[in-house]
Amino acid sequence: MDNRPVQLEKHPVREFYQQNSKTMNAFLMCVLVFILGEIVIGAVMGTHGTFLSVSQVFLTIRLAAFVALFGLCQQLVICVGGGGLDLSVGYIATLTGICAGHIMNGQNGGILLSILAALAIGGFFGLCNGLLTAYLKLPSLVVTMAMANIVQGIVNAYVSKVAIEGNAAPALQWLAAKFTGVFPNILIVVVLVTAIMMVLFRRTSLGVRILGVGANENTAYLSGVNVKRVRCAAFVASGILAALIGLLLLGYLGHASKDMASNYVMPSIVAVVVGGVSINGGEGNYLSVVLGAVVLQSLTNLFVALGWGDAGKWLGYGLILLVMLAAYIRNKRKR
Amino acid sequence: MKENKLIKKLTSRAETSTVLILVVMVAIIACLQSNFFTVRTMLSYINSFTPLILLAMGQAVVVIAGGLDMSCGTAMALQLCIMTRIMDPARPVTGLYALLAGLAAAAAIGAVNGFAVGYLRLPAVIATYATSYVWLGIALFVTPTPGGKVVDWFRGFYDLKNIPGLAGIGQFVPSALLWILLACAIWWVIRKTRTGRYIYAVGSHNDNAYDSGINTAKIQTIAYLINALFCFFVAVYYAGQNGAGNANLGDSLTLQAVASAVVGGVAMSGGKGSVFMAIAGALIMSLVGRIIYFANIPNAYQTFVSGIIIIAAIATSSIYAFQQRRAQLKGGAGNG
Repeated sequence: MDNRPVQLEKHPVREFYQQNSKTMNAFLMCVLVFILGEIVIGAVMGTHGTFLSVSQVFLTIRLAAFVALFGLCQQLVICVGGGGLDLSVGYIATLTGICAGHIMNGQNGGILLSILAALAIGGFFGLCNGLLTAYLKLPSLVVTMAMANIVQGIVNAYVSKVAIEGNAAPALQWLAAKFTGVFPNILIVVVLVTAIMMVLFRRTSLGVRILGVGANENTAYLSGVNVKRVRCAAFVASGILAALIGLLLLGYLGHASKDMASNYVMPSIVAVVVGGVSINGGEGNYLSVVLGAVVLQSLTNLFVALGWGDAGKWLGYGLILLVMLAAYIRNKRKR
Repeated sequence: MKENKLIKKLTSRAETSTVLILVVMVAIIACLQSNFFTVRTMLSYINSFTPLILLAMGQAVVVIAGGLDMSCGTAMALQLCIMTRIMDPARPVTGLYALLAGLAAAAAIGAVNGFAVGYLRLPAVIATYATSYVWLGIALFVTPTPGGKVVDWFRGFYDLKNIPGLAGIGQFVPSALLWILLACAIWWVIRKTRTGRYIYAVGSHNDNAYDSGINTAKIQTIAYLINALFCFFVAVYYAGQNGAGNANLGDSLTLQAVASAVVGGVAMSGGKGSVFMAIAGALIMSLVGRIIYFANIPNAYQTFVSGIIIIAAIATSSIYAFQQRRAQLKGGAGNG
């Protein structure tokens, strides 16, 4: 008998799907939600083209952009493993936005100084988070939640003494809030970041190290990777990114406020989970996080269009997070 | 000789440091507040500290069982909103319906949390973070803006003086104290049973407990149910106090409850600690807020300080556990 192994015909589409299944799932969910939204709105309100038109899709993506960017912070922290999450990104962004507003005061000249301030603020709090989580092994959710309280306290104390003033620089506003035709400019940032992330994780040795730490801590350690330093660095990076996003948020809103970014934290976590990134770490697909953010934003739009308001939004986020957790992220069943 | 042993026994227990901190805090407050030792002040303190105490006790049960509950604040708010929505001052019997509905809600909340963490094996931290938003959403559906009503006799749950006929007792025994005693009694009974022991077993090592034949999922669900019951107590207490429901009432309490349990000596890794010590932890956390007030630190700094204290508390607990483990390893190597 012929003992050669049987050559199965390789189906290119199926292979592509299997290799990128989570991203494909997220993309399919996107499409589904848009179609669903269109149908539901059409049925309930009798209008067509309000959900699934080119301008609407771009608007949704524009709103989702900030969630996606915050999702990047979460993904970095989650990637390095150990069940990490960063709940302080919201208030770090808020604090940075408030300070930057003061510095910029509506001029383009203050942008460089604002960026430096962002690096300093985000880096400092990110470092605190990282040291406590990586070196003292405290649970990151509690640490970052407490850190969020601390930064919130600083914001409150600042606001009670000094009124928030100062507008965003026009260049920043152009980037974050304006359109070129029908294309929102903030998408430039998102696309750029997505490209950088994909290159980082797939091609560079730094990316491999990051993923390795998340995938298997012991193996990475035995291979000579300083696990604690990588984890701490992830939190520092998350803090710095959050601060920079605060700048963008300032540009988007025009001027800062006390609670600028607190509504973005929960959705950023949901976006990461919806995108299929494993909470245990070791995976680094940012594109699926962006798609997850878009899914979430379009669902929110649907809730708002149906008139369910805040209640439906929170209920929806909670349920989606639970369902996606159950589908993707479960502790390994040893029995 | 005997004295030495006693001192050594006391100092080696983690609970000693908690009690010491509590004594120090009480001393500081007594110095800062001139009328601290009056009955009226004590009563007002007990009344305002009770919610955190009860939530911390519930949190302690869950953490000992190896989980965590980030949803206790919003769960409490949900039960509160349901109860105040059902009650109608014109018909006193609706108070009973409200109690039953609240209990049913507590059972559902505990069951869902326990199912997610125990049976579905979702990471407790994120799963309960998710469920907290589910409770918040439902609460906002029930009570979009703060409102609702309570029947008159319900107010006795906050202050016995409100119930005609019990006014005499109400002068000396605050309802808050009765609630705490009730919760303590419930836990004391459970602690003596097999289930209580299993809770500690499941928390300290889930797999070993499973291999010993314990139904770990069921035990964790029971822990979450107990927690939901204590949240129910807080909800009834708030209903009696405020007479209205507010979906956002529990927002700040959740993290404080976790911190109180940790400050009270419950290890975040599970399997260790005492629910009664969590009461001390809650007292410490609450007294800090009071000290800030009496030391004339502006209110805006309160979140700042409480955040720092939370981090300090869990850091200390973590370092202490680490030292203990190291000492054990060293001790073992020395003996071997």
